[in-house]
Amino acid sequence: MRILTPIILLCLLTATVTAKDILPYPIQQKDMPNGLKVVTIPYDSPGLAAFYIVVRVGSRDEIEKGKTGFAHFFEHMMFRGTDKYSKEQYSDVMKSIGASANANTSLDRTVYHMTGNASKLETMFELEADRFQFLKYSVQDFKTEAGAVKGEYTKNNSSPYSRLYESVLNTAFDIHTYKHTTMGFLEDIVDMPNQYDFSLEFFKRYYRPEYCTIIVVGDVTSDRVNALAEKYFGKWERGNYVTSILQEPVQTATRYFHLQVPQFPPYLDIKFKTPAFSLENNDYHALSILSQVLFSERSELYKKLVVKEQTARNISGGVYPTRDPYLFSASVSLVKAESMAALKKEILDAIEQSKKTPVSAEILKATKDRIRYSFAMSMDSPDAIANAVALYTWVTGDPSSINRSYELFESVTAADIQRVAEKYLVPSRMTIATISPDEKPILD
Amino acid sequence: MKNSFLVLLLIAFTFPVFGIEVVSLPLPKSDKIVVKLMFRNGSMMDPKGMEGLTNLTSSLLLDGGTSKLSSGQVNELLYPLAARNYSSTDKEVSTFTFEFHKDHESILVPLIIDFFMQPGFHEEDFQRLKSNQLNYVNEVIRASSDEEYSKMALEDLLFRGTNYQHMVNGTTSGLEKITLEAVRNHFKSSYTTEGLMLGIAGNYSAGMLATLQNAFNKLPAGSGVKSVAGKANTPNGIEVEIISKTNALGSAIFTGFPLPVTRKDADFAALMVANSWLGEHRKSYSRLYQKIREQRSMNYGDYSYIEWYENGGSNMLPQPGYPRSSNYFSIWIRPVQTAEGLIKQYPELSAITVGHAHFALRMAIKEMKTITDNGFTKEDFELTRDFLRSYIKLYIQTPAKQLGFLMDSKFYGRKDYIAELDGQLAKLTLADVNAAMKKYWQTENMFITIVTDDSEAEPLKKSLMNNEVSPMSYSDALKASLPATLLQEDTEVSKVPLNVKKVTIVDSDKTFR
Repeated sequence: MRILTPIILLCLLTATVTAKDILPYPIQQKDMPNGLKVVTIPYDSPGLAAFYIVVRVGSRDEIEKGKTGFAHFFEHMMFRGTDKYSKEQYSDVMKSIGASANANTSLDRTVYHMTGNASKLETMFELEADRFQFLKYSVQDFKTEAGAVKGEYTKNNSSPYSRLYESVLNTAFDIHTYKHTTMGFLEDIVDMPNQYDFSLEFFKRYYRPEYCTIIVVGDVTSDRVNALAEKYFGKWERGNYVTSILQEPVQTATRYFHLQVPQFPPYLDIKFKTPAFSLENNDYHALSILSQVLFSERSELYKKLVVKEQTARNISGGVYPTRDPYLFSASVSLVKAESMAALKKEILDAIEQSKKTPVSAEILKATKDRIRYSFAMSMDSPDAIANAVALYTWVTGDPSSINRSYELFESVTAADIQRVAEKYLVPSRMTIATISPDEKPILD
Repeated sequence: MKNSFLVLLLIAFTFPVFGIEVVSLPLPKSDKIVVKLMFRNGSMMDPKGMEGLTNLTSSLLLDGGTSKLSSGQVNELLYPLAARNYSSTDKEVSTFTFEFHKDHESILVPLIIDFFMQPGFHEEDFQRLKSNQLNYVNEVIRASSDEEYSKMALEDLLFRGTNYQHMVNGTTSGLEKITLEAVRNHFKSSYTTEGLMLGIAGNYSAGMLATLQNAFNKLPAGSGVKSVAGKANTPNGIEVEIISKTNALGSAIFTGFPLPVTRKDADFAALMVANSWLGEHRKSYSRLYQKIREQRSMNYGDYSYIEWYENGGSNMLPQPGYPRSSNYFSIWIRPVQTAEGLIKQYPELSAITVGHAHFALRMAIKEMKTITDNGFTKEDFELTRDFLRSYIKLYIQTPAKQLGFLMDSKFYGRKDYIAELDGQLAKLTLADVNAAMKKYWQTENMFITIVTDDSEAEPLKKSLMNNEVSPMSYSDALKASLPATLLQEDTEVSKVPLNVKKVTIVDSDKTFR
C-alpha cells in the first residue's frame, strides 16, 4: 500500500514570472507563515476583480466508507453562516456588493469564487476569512442542506451520460477514491443528514491555510492584496492533517460496463488508466496532444466516421489533469447501435497506429499552435485568468506551474507520443463503457 | 458605487450607414478579434411544415464548408489557429460568432465572407447535420435534461399555434421534410441585409471593418415583408401539462404567463428589481431559493425570469444573442423528489402518493402572490436595486459579451442597454417597482409543465386537479430538527388554493412531433 500525500513540486517563493511565459501577466505570489499562498495578478479590467480561494480537497480525499460526496456537500455548508455573519447576513452582504459568487468541487479540489467591484475587495476578504476560519452551522441547517445535494444528484441523474460516468468510475477503479464521482453514491447522499459530527472533523482537517491558495485577478495591486490577506487570514492556524489515499492496484484486463437506454443516441466510451499530472515528465502533455491528433475535428477519424461515412455523430477524446492516476478518454456518439463493434475497432486501430507511425511534424506543430492560441485567446477576463491559474494550483500546489506546463507541451516530440501510447493505451488498462437500447452491447 | 466598467462601453460606435448596421468596439490592447453577424431570421421564420429550417441552415453555413473548401478542409485550416466559430439560432435572430487571434485576421476575414457569399451546401454535410438535428428532437431533448425538457415544453404550451411554438431545433415532421434545396432557398430569402447587424470588437486592423461591411452589403436586400412574432397565449386559470416518462428520478417544473414588457420598455427595470428579489438566477439571496431550497432542501434551486435565459443549467450570467419582442414571465423549479423516490429513500414515507411537486408549486406561487400584493420594503428595494447596478456590469466581462450585449441593445431600439439600465435603475423608486408588479404579475392564470416519472403522473394530476392538500414530506431525521414555525408554515402552504382549471398528461413520446 502506497500512501500519497500532497506534493509541493516547486519551491514557492515570492516570484514574478517573466514575459516569455504562456501567461502574459505577472504572477505575484506571497507565501504566508501559516502556509496560505496569496497570488495577485494585476489585469486591465477597470473596477473589476476576481477573488478565488482554491482548497486542495475534493472527492479524492473521501477515504472513509459511506462518506462519498462529502467534499461537495461541505462546499454547500460553507454558505451556512458564522457567529459574525449568519447565513441571512452573509447573503445580504453578498448582495450588497453585487458580486457573482459561487463554488464548485471536483476530484482534487474545491474552489470558492466571487467576481465583482474591485473597490469591495476588503469586504470580500473579510467575508471569506470569516467563514473559512469560523464557520458555524446548526444541526438543522446541516440536515436541510443535505436535501439540496440530493436535488443536485436528482437533476443530474436525468442524463444517461451522467449515469454512465458514475458507473464507469465505479468499474475502472477498485480502491482509489476516484472510484466514486464528486457527487457521491446516492445511498451516501441519502445518509448525509446523519453525518453532522463528521462534518466538524472535515472542516478541522481541510479548511486550513496549508490547503488553500487565494488568487486575486483584476484591478488590484499585490501590496493591497497581501495587506488584506495578512489582516484577515494572518491569524488562521495551520493544521496537520494529511490524507492517506490507497493506491489503485495494477489493472490486468479490460473491464466493461453497459447501460441499456432506449431512444437515446448509442454511445461508446473507451477509457485507459493514465498517470497523474506531472511537471517531472511530459507524459500527460503527450497524451493530451495525442488525444487531439486522434479525435479532434481535424483528425482522420473524424473525417472518416463523422463526415464521410456518417456512422458517428461525434467523436471526442481527452485527458484530465489529476493528482493521482486517472483516465484517458475516447468517446463516440453513434448513429446506430449496430455500428458499436466497428467503431470500437476504428478507435482501437487508430490508437494502435499511433504507436507504430509517428505523428507528422506538420500535425504536431499545428496541435502545439492550437494549444498556445487557444490559451492566449481564453485569457480575456479576470475570471478566465483566475480559473486557469486555479487549475494548476490544485493539481500541483504551485500557481506558477501554469507556465511550466505549457513548456512541457512545447517539449513533446513525435517519439514521446508513440511512447505514451505504447505505455498507457493498452487493453490491460482499458475500461469500455456503452449506452444502447440493447440488453448487452455487441462489441465484437 | 464605482461605475468605471462603463468606461469601456463609451468607446463603442454604431454606423447606421450604407445598408447593414455596424457595431464596432475597438480594443487595441486585446490579442483577440470578435466578429458577429446577427440576422433577423430566427426560428419564427421557419416555413410552416419545415420547422427547424433556420437552425439547420445556420448550422450548414458554418459546418458545411464553402464552395472552395470542404468542411474537413475548413477544420484543417482552423485547427492550428484555435479559432472559434459558432452559430446560435433563437426565435427572432440567428447570430454567427467568430473569435480568433489578431495574428489570423488575414485568414479569417476571407473565410467569414466565403461562409456567406459562397456557402458550400454540400449534400453530405446537409445529411449529417439534418440527422443530428433530428436526433436532438427525437431523442436527446427527451432524455438528457428534464429541466431543459420542461422549459422547451413550456414554450410549446405558451406559444401553441404560433410561429414561436416550436423549438429552434424544429419538429420531427418538419425536419423530415427539409431538403437541401429548401435550405438553399431559405438562405436566399432569409439571410439578407434586411435588419442584418455586423459587430466587430477587439484589436482589428483599419481595413477589416470596411472589407466585411462591403462584403455583407452584397447579400440580397430582402423582401421588405416583416414577420410578426407570435404572442404568448393567455392561460385560462392554471393549465398544467404533465409529461410522463419512464425512470425519471424527479419532477422538473417550469411555469409561465405572457409578459408584455421587454428591454425596450421603461417598466423593464422595475420588473428586473422585482424579479431579482423573487428569483435571481443562481443566487441564494432570492426568495424562492431561500424558501424552497435553503429552508426545505427540496431541490437544487428555484429561480424566476422576466425574459428568456439561455441554458440556465450551465450559465451563471445571461448570454447575449437571444433578443425577443414576444415575452413571458417564468419560474423554474429544479427537479424535486417523486413519491416513488422518497419511499425508496425513507421507509417512514411509505404512505405518500405524491412527491414534492405540488407543494413546491404552492410555495412558489404563494411567494409571488405575497410580494405582488404587499410590495417591497424600502430596505429590500434599495438592497436589490443596488445589487443589480453592480451585477449587470458582470454581464459584459469579455469582448464577445460586450459586443453581444451592444448588438442586442439595437434590437430593442437602445444604444447601450447595460449603461442605460444602470441609469434607469438609479432613478427607480419603490413605488415604481410595486406598481410594476401589480400591473404585470398575477398568479391566477399560468401554464405549468412538469416532466416526471410515469409513477408520479396520475397521482400528481389528481392532486392538482382536485386542489388536494399537499403536505410536505420530510424524512424523520430532518423533520425532527426543523423549527415549529417552519412546520406551521408548511401546513399553511399545503392548503394554498391554486386556480387549476386543466391538467393533462402527455406521453413523452408524443412531444415535439
